[in-house]
Amino acid sequence: MSGWDWIASHLDDIAAATRDHVVLTVIAVGVGLVISLALALLIHRDRRVYAPVTAVAGLLYTIPSLALFAILVPVTGLSVLTAEIGLVSYTLLILVRNIVAGLDAVPPEAREAAAGMGYSALGRLLRVELPLALPVIVAGLRIATVTTIGLVMVTALIGEGGLGQLMLRGFTLQNYTAVYVGTAISIGLAVVADLLLLGALRLATPWRRALER
Amino acid sequence: MDALAAVLAWFSDPGTWTGPSGIAVRLVEHVGISVAAMLLACLIALPVGLGFGHTGRGGAVAIGVANIGRAVPSYALLLILFPVFGLGFATALPALVLLAIPPILTNSYVAVRDVEAELVEAGRGMGLGERQILVRVELPIALPVVIAGVRTAAVQVVATATLAALVAGGGLGRFIVDGFALQDDGTLVGGAILVALLAVAVERGFALVERRAVSPGLRDRPRRELEVGRQPTAWPSAGA
Amino acid sequence: MGVNQPPSLAASHRGGATVEFQHVTKRYGPESAGPGAVNDLSLLVPAGRICVLVGPSGCGKTTSLKMVNRLIEPTGGRILIDGVDVAAEEPTALRRRIGYVIQQVGLFPHQTIGENVATVPRLLGWSPARQRERTDELLALVGLEPGVHRDRYPNQLSGGERQRVGVARALAADPPVMLMDEPFGAVDPIVRERLQNEFLRLQDGLAKTILFVTHDIDEAIKMGDLVAVMQTGGTLAQFGPPAEILASPSSDFVARFVGADRGLKRLSLTRVRDVPLTPALTARPGDDAAEARRGAAAEASRYLLLVDADTRPIGWLDPAGLPATGALEASMAVPMSPLLEPETTLKDALSMLLDADVQAGIAVDAQGRVLGLLTVDMIAALLTRR
Repeated sequence: MSGWDWIASHLDDIAAATRDHVVLTVIAVGVGLVISLALALLIHRDRRVYAPVTAVAGLLYTIPSLALFAILVPVTGLSVLTAEIGLVSYTLLILVRNIVAGLDAVPPEAREAAAGMGYSALGRLLRVELPLALPVIVAGLRIATVTTIGLVMVTALIGEGGLGQLMLRGFTLQNYTAVYVGTAISIGLAVVADLLLLGALRLATPWRRALER
Repeated sequence: MDALAAVLAWFSDPGTWTGPSGIAVRLVEHVGISVAAMLLACLIALPVGLGFGHTGRGGAVAIGVANIGRAVPSYALLLILFPVFGLGFATALPALVLLAIPPILTNSYVAVRDVEAELVEAGRGMGLGERQILVRVELPIALPVVIAGVRTAAVQVVATATLAALVAGGGLGRFIVDGFALQDDGTLVGGAILVALLAVAVERGFALVERRAVSPGLRDRPRRELEVGRQPTAWPSAGA
Repeated sequence: MGVNQPPSLAASHRGGATVEFQHVTKRYGPESAGPGAVNDLSLLVPAGRICVLVGPSGCGKTTSLKMVNRLIEPTGGRILIDGVDVAAEEPTALRRRIGYVIQQVGLFPHQTIGENVATVPRLLGWSPARQRERTDELLALVGLEPGVHRDRYPNQLSGGERQRVGVARALAADPPVMLMDEPFGAVDPIVRERLQNEFLRLQDGLAKTILFVTHDIDEAIKMGDLVAVMQTGGTLAQFGPPAEILASPSSDFVARFVGADRGLKRLSLTRVRDVPLTPALTARPGDDAAEARRGAAAEASRYLLLVDADTRPIGWLDPAGLPATGALEASMAVPMSPLLEPETTLKDALSMLLDADVQAGIAVDAQGRVLGLLTVDMIAALLTRR
């Protein structure tokens, strides 16, 4: 059957695979963001935690994804959990570093003025420091998201869904259309996610637009 | 834990280490193809990245390569290229080279661009030729970030070479694949540990080289690590 | 600040609170390590006065300031506001009752000017309507048109405008005490002078208790009702009105810090509005030239000042050079003299006159209308009279 015919007859499969892929990505980046935020705030409080945290996150980042999944399998089995643990681990280094850098980049006089005017530490964080740190944080989010989209493919090897599964099945059956389709959609997802995050950043930071005017 | 016991048993079995599909052989396969891919990638990407960085042109290309490099999953690349080059571990090479190029290219470009303009101007003013400026002024200052790019590429190559085992066998990834297929936790986790160790060793090794490559006079120089705005930035690297 | 009179400040209460330092000490590290940043500082600032803390780097002036709103905690002694120890109150609550202005202003870049100004009112839970009303009132007070500036962002404003917003922000919750740390230090001298003048005008209406830190003795003398000179090592060298510091410095250090030009500096204690001005002989465009010449001759005046319908100066006319007939025209006048505002100190006025190489300056009011003339001779006479 020709490539286009295959696509036409497998639209449901393709859609399902894409949906699974997106879901896995969103969960991974979401959980990663929450954990990284918690870690970054700890580091913000006490700088000494920075080195150990980035060392561990860096280690997780260096270990090839397949190896990480393989080590997890005997412990957590072939499940979404295994996949998510691996995927989340990869986002930690980038997100923690970017959140910390973003907070560091807040102008010290804004911080001092906020303290001097009577903001509590929490109020300062929520209303002054985090909003100003957004550009750098979102830059990290973009990289993490694009990377995760690529990594979700590898989870096909431990039986998870997503476009990787589609491609793997196609590959073993020598059906290369599936491979090309999977790749194309995955790249498309990465581009769309990147643009969406960029757009969200622009919406959330009207003061930077004012600068351009 | 059964898995732990299985792993220990696997490692202590001498048969695991020797023989045509033993650790020694697989390790050589893995390292061999990684090194080959890295050499080729450096040969292609370093001159281009450094050259563009020096002249300042080709920035759009650098950005484009960086973005595409990030968006294309390594796994997909393998699957796509295999039918083109035929099956067999060695044919993972083109895919690995293509994957290694973006970090090396982008980092070299960014590293040279980041060298302060006044230094280059001072060099020119003293009568240094363009190539001399690149080699004697820009390169030493840019070296840490260039090596960081090579380091990132190396880790990526080692990781993808692992994946190649899925498609065509060979390398340390083979243990993972076999372990999975045979439901043998010992082989599975043992192979994974070997891969992890190799990747970490490569990463740490390059980190050491990177540190040594920095002249003592440059220790406090800040590096533009994080991306804000439209300029390409150095690849995120572990343990910078 | 601004062209119009400040709007009615019925909503603000006039008068501030007393601020007292009692044997305040701040040291980092053990006693054996040497003198602390601030040593045994005791002084009382009466309500509604500006007290300037001045001294060289490292004299502890900023540290002392920050102990009032507890950004830094004293190691010894206490600070009282209206008789109540500041340590008795929760720091965050305390700071919301004290206005705080720093050198780099520290406006929040991600909030509009309006949101910036309303910071403390919002923290205090004011209703949005009341916040908005107060914001507009304050922006007008500092000379920024609310409709134009309220929704802009800090990065769209000039340095001088940002300083004004900083002051407005500190005044928002109408605190009885304000702390200002080199607030006008980050702008160029011309803008700084305007801001200083306008702030003094503002303070006339508000009469808050202000602690003002600067390293510039001239600013201290100009701005302060009381000046506290501090020396390296954190001790108070002298505390008193500017005239006293200048006339009788209590130590070599103070004498040196004040500067060898003490005499000239005393000129900066008097302002244009404080001295009797020579009335200017004026004429308007359209007046008959011959009559103008006759009028000048009658007064034995060698110059005539041409003013417009609102009594704003246009320039000088030489009666001898006027045409025999016809009307006076604006083009005949030469605008040579600097315009002196009521708040301008005599020292600055003298400087301006010397720079312009003229004998007389034109004193004008807030609307730019001529009040009278001030000459170099008059100023010199004032100097020798003391």
